[in-house]
Amino acid sequence: MKLTKKKIYILFILLFINEFSFAQKPEDKLSIELKNCSLLTAIETIENSSTYTFYFDPTWINLNKNQISGNYNNITISELLNKIFDETDLNYIIINHKIILTSNNLIYNNLPANYFNELDSNKTTREFNNISGNPIFYRQYDSLNQHKFTKKPSLQFIGKENKNTTKKNFLLSGYIVNEKTEKPEVNIYLKIRDKDISTSSDLNGHYKLLLPAGINIIEIKSMNHVEVIKTLMVYDDGNLDITINDQSNQLDEVVITKKGMRAKETTISGLVSIDIKAIKNTPLILGERDILRVATTLPGIKTTGEGASGFNVRGGKDDQNLILLDNSVLYNPQHFLGFFSAINPYTAKKAEIYKGSIPADFGGRLSSVFDITTKNGNPENFSGEGAIGPITSNLSFGLPIQKNKSSILVGARATYSDWILKTLDDENLKNSEAGFYDGIIKYNNTINDNNDLEATVYYSKDRFSLSSDSIYKYSNRLISLKWDHTFNKKSKVELILTNSEYKFNIDYNSSDDNSFDFGYKISETQLQLKFKYLFNKKHTFSYGIASKSYGISPGYQHPKSLMSTLIAIDIEKEKALESAIYISDNYKIGEKLLIDLGLRYSFYASLGEANVNIYQEGFPLNKETIIENKHYIKNEIIKTYGGFEPRLAARYFLNDDLSIKASYDFTRQYIHLLSSNTTQSPTDSWKLSDINVKPQSAQQFSLGLYKTLQDNLYEISLEGYYKKSKNILDYKVGAELLLNKNVETELLQGVGKAYGIELLLKKQEGKLNGWIGYTYSRTFIKLDSNFESEIVNNGKYFSANFDKPHDFSAILNYKFTKRYSLSTNFSYQTGRPITYPIGVFQYGNSEYTLYSDRNQYRIPDYIRLDIGINIEGNHKIKKLAHSFWNISIYNILGRNNPYSIYFVTDKNGGVKGYKTSIFSIPIPSITYNFKF
Amino acid sequence: MNKKKIQKFSLGKIIIALLILNILNSCSEAYNLQTDTYQEALVVEATITNEFIRQEIKISKTSQFEDEGIEKESGAIVIIEDDLGNTFPFEEKDDIYISKNPFKAESNREYTLKIETNEGKVFKSSSQKLTTENKILDIIPKLVTTKDNERGIQITVNNYDSTNSSKYYRYEYEETYKIVAPVWRQQKLVVTGQQEVALIPNSLETRICYKTQKSNDIILASTTNLQEDKVNLDIRFISDNDYIISHRYSIIVKQYVLSLESYSFRRTLKDLSTSSSIFSPKQPGFLNGNIKCISNTNEKVIGFFEVSSFSSKRIFFNHEDLFPNEPKPPYFTNCDEQEYKFCFGYSVPVCEGPLLISKIKGNTIAYSSNLSNSFYSVVPIECGDCTSFSSNLIPSFWID
Repeated sequence: MKLTKKKIYILFILLFINEFSFAQKPEDKLSIELKNCSLLTAIETIENSSTYTFYFDPTWINLNKNQISGNYNNITISELLNKIFDETDLNYIIINHKIILTSNNLIYNNLPANYFNELDSNKTTREFNNISGNPIFYRQYDSLNQHKFTKKPSLQFIGKENKNTTKKNFLLSGYIVNEKTEKPEVNIYLKIRDKDISTSSDLNGHYKLLLPAGINIIEIKSMNHVEVIKTLMVYDDGNLDITINDQSNQLDEVVITKKGMRAKETTISGLVSIDIKAIKNTPLILGERDILRVATTLPGIKTTGEGASGFNVRGGKDDQNLILLDNSVLYNPQHFLGFFSAINPYTAKKAEIYKGSIPADFGGRLSSVFDITTKNGNPENFSGEGAIGPITSNLSFGLPIQKNKSSILVGARATYSDWILKTLDDENLKNSEAGFYDGIIKYNNTINDNNDLEATVYYSKDRFSLSSDSIYKYSNRLISLKWDHTFNKKSKVELILTNSEYKFNIDYNSSDDNSFDFGYKISETQLQLKFKYLFNKKHTFSYGIASKSYGISPGYQHPKSLMSTLIAIDIEKEKALESAIYISDNYKIGEKLLIDLGLRYSFYASLGEANVNIYQEGFPLNKETIIENKHYIKNEIIKTYGGFEPRLAARYFLNDDLSIKASYDFTRQYIHLLSSNTTQSPTDSWKLSDINVKPQSAQQFSLGLYKTLQDNLYEISLEGYYKKSKNILDYKVGAELLLNKNVETELLQGVGKAYGIELLLKKQEGKLNGWIGYTYSRTFIKLDSNFESEIVNNGKYFSANFDKPHDFSAILNYKFTKRYSLSTNFSYQTGRPITYPIGVFQYGNSEYTLYSDRNQYRIPDYIRLDIGINIEGNHKIKKLAHSFWNISIYNILGRNNPYSIYFVTDKNGGVKGYKTSIFSIPIPSITYNFKF
Repeated sequence: MNKKKIQKFSLGKIIIALLILNILNSCSEAYNLQTDTYQEALVVEATITNEFIRQEIKISKTSQFEDEGIEKESGAIVIIEDDLGNTFPFEEKDDIYISKNPFKAESNREYTLKIETNEGKVFKSSSQKLTTENKILDIIPKLVTTKDNERGIQITVNNYDSTNSSKYYRYEYEETYKIVAPVWRQQKLVVTGQQEVALIPNSLETRICYKTQKSNDIILASTTNLQEDKVNLDIRFISDNDYIISHRYSIIVKQYVLSLESYSFRRTLKDLSTSSSIFSPKQPGFLNGNIKCISNTNEKVIGFFEVSSFSSKRIFFNHEDLFPNEPKPPYFTNCDEQEYKFCFGYSVPVCEGPLLISKIKGNTIAYSSNLSNSFYSVVPIECGDCTSFSSNLIPSFWID
């Protein structure tokens, strides 16, 4: 039987109000025999052989792993319970054949006569050390407001309350363990707030503290670790293991998380951390949980529209994001043209998105890093979760291979839309295809105290046909291997080997002989060595080296029939090597000032075998200005680029709950996505820098203010940035990018500038929680040249495709009861820019369409409201699986938000405009989620 | 009970299918083009050549989608200046601007075009030099069979630049062909009264005509990828079924040697007007030329001022020259006779007198034959009178 905490509280109150006398009645005697049984079994045995019923929280019982044995004859229930609970933290009270268990604290059925007088005197003297024998009610502090601790869940009980104790101080001991490495942490300083009690952990990470009874607040402030504050209710001697996190790995958790360091404390501005567990409350689209969609509700991260893959982070193009899944690059993070994210939400642990202050160990993209890590399998038991939704089903499970040493996690997701389409009678639908699947396997092994091994394999595949004659396919494949080695307490290393591959393919089947097979492939392999060295209390160094090799098959088109008049086209392969070394120092200058100094040097070499077009100097790149087609042999260096990438970040505490941060980043990028579409599409191809295409670079300055209110209940952050970039890729008017042997002739490289202000207000707890974000940002690009054909918009700055000045989102959740909660998601964005046909003109006997300046107009604004209701399953203890239902309505306003507007010139030369909307009606969905 | 369950299941399936459909079809709807986006811009087509002629410049305006026709810019002051300060004024004549005096572009001179509209806007081009001279060597008509299995005449233009410096070419052509009305008769039918028609002698003028058509594509060629500056361009293909080569055919090919910039401008213009795929649409945008509004930099102007070396060549051929002993291609329209019963009032078969009279008056039929005064066989007017769609004037260049 189980009682919710709430009910226990009510019981508490009842108990205090009434003077119960029946507890003193003579107790019945009983006889019972227990043989090596668990506490739960013992309780059940007592329940079965007596008239008593127990009320408790099963988690308390499960904490006690002791086996109970004993033959009890003619014993009173109190005597029996005293014996059973002797070794545990549990107390009990018997009321009318009901036995209510409590963890740590004791339920008092009468107060000492002088209790309230004592309390009054305490209040005036602010004396905390309790006089022994008086009960300690932790709630009393709350009501007297002598201590601020609004976060009740963080309160921990130490020891079992005992009416007869005479001690004034109690011994608290335990280990300090790093959450990530699961290793003990040495020399960690612990302090009790407002009391002169402190200690440090020893070589084994063990610590001891002598604490007065009652409320104690332990603070762990280490510059290399995330600050930990724990509020303890001390009743007796006890044990408390504390987990801490490395500062550099888990910086702040701006979003939805309840633990860890606040945004105001790290040096990093512009980091967004998404706790996967918490996104279960946000409304879903077609019943799918989506990490990346949640990310786009935060300031500074945008998509071009519904169904658009790719992100624009702080005015960056969609190819400027380094999306890492377990350290391996995920080239296309979206399924189904961007409706679903390719990241399985059930296997992902967390996603950290660096919008600015990108640490020096990351490189290769200009604007952001999406660092997504996968969970480890459950090291103890077989467990899993899953969901059944209208479009997809999802199942993941983890199981130990060697208990507490190695485990495996398996996740899979697939659509059944294909099957549904096939069973339909409609001919058109029958021939349509739309489906995807993805799967992930992660293996981890703690070889010994100093060595850890992790391996991840991921594969995703999409297949769809928009017209019956062509099938589009694309797939991602990632492999990642990581070996962690600790040399000693101060220094450790990670060796990471990754490989990713992205392919797309169009299978075109026409009724005549002109069927063809079209394909594209990129693959990369990277080896990374990352060191971390704790030099002293002030300096922590990170340094490392990485090298990556790229191979691209930029496209082929092969006729499928021998009769075909199509010519087979094969664009020559591209190859390159990108390497980098970096060092950074996390330097604590004083209590208030923390800086992070990073320097990265990246080096790039474009390699043969290749035939490279050499263009006439002083002329625009043009098919007609090619003067030579130079041949390079295998692995011959065609062109090299390189440079320093300084990264600086600093944090200063203005006062306890207000901090200011500033940062400067320099980033370089050697690979470019060719996409004349406004939105990333699966057929966009990546191109490596070479003689004719220069690498991109960017500099970002950012400044942020972070404040917490009402004892960290609210967090407000205001961040501003200014970004300048060079050699940003754009396209000439009329550019054609696919299967173009001289694709560089279609490209322009310009300078970009972007600036913005991001405001985020967040409430993490309470019945009403969520966040509200607003961003004002602008993004411009300038394409100027000495040649008329390379000038766009008179060589002046113009809005980039994804420039959306106003962006407002609100995600608000309201918990009605434990079981029912409502979540809403509202978003508003300025419509994105578009190049508009504005008229016609006649030239050389023909009529042509006149287009406006590039991106001169905007499509209508984007407004959407979604609502979701979560219903938790009931809390029956013996249910197979814990479950919840999610009912969502996407776009409840039914607003016809344009996805794209395009123009078609018909046969008569007339121009027609078309607007595509993806979800123009409210889309309901229902998903069943379960956990076992 | 069981049946109910099945129904429920398929209802669910339909809903899901609808959802998927929604994504697949993603609801494209017509989107009204915003007319408030219209911006008027000047369109300038200015090519002067090294031919000693009265040079021509076309100046028009852009128009809105729903507008019919193109509005010409009139009342503008148009001048070409060279770097020695010589000016060549233009005057407006029949919708175009023509130089007051004939002149030719000289090599090693730089020319600039200036336009001042009657609204006071001033436009100026960048200075342009005459491109390398290069003459058309040959125009060769050849009987070929294409890879699509079509038989016909391929007209190829050839040139050769030994200096290897011209490289970019634009071509225009004008084809003129002789038309012989296949059902021309000595007599023609005229309306002489309310219900009367008569046959009168037909004019010989309506039997043979000439028609001229201009190319309307942008035809470009470049020799940069070639070892030698040698154009060998297939400029026109005429199917062996095309009636335009039934008798005598002539084509004049005009070659303009372009600068790279001018070539790029025209190529992009051409590329933009051809369609492309949904997944990789061409980047649309405004096309910059070399003419700018200097009185207001935001004012748009489309066009290119080019100083091109010009060359042209004309050839003639007859059908028998290329298709000896082969039948002529069919006429472009069906010339089957249609018989009209010339009577009024009620009869069986129906009287067609009023219909015949209205067709003669409307000039849509030509007389072919008659058995009596009550039955006339006629053909469509194009078969009997070529002036109905072309001109009977012999072009000045025509050599039979």
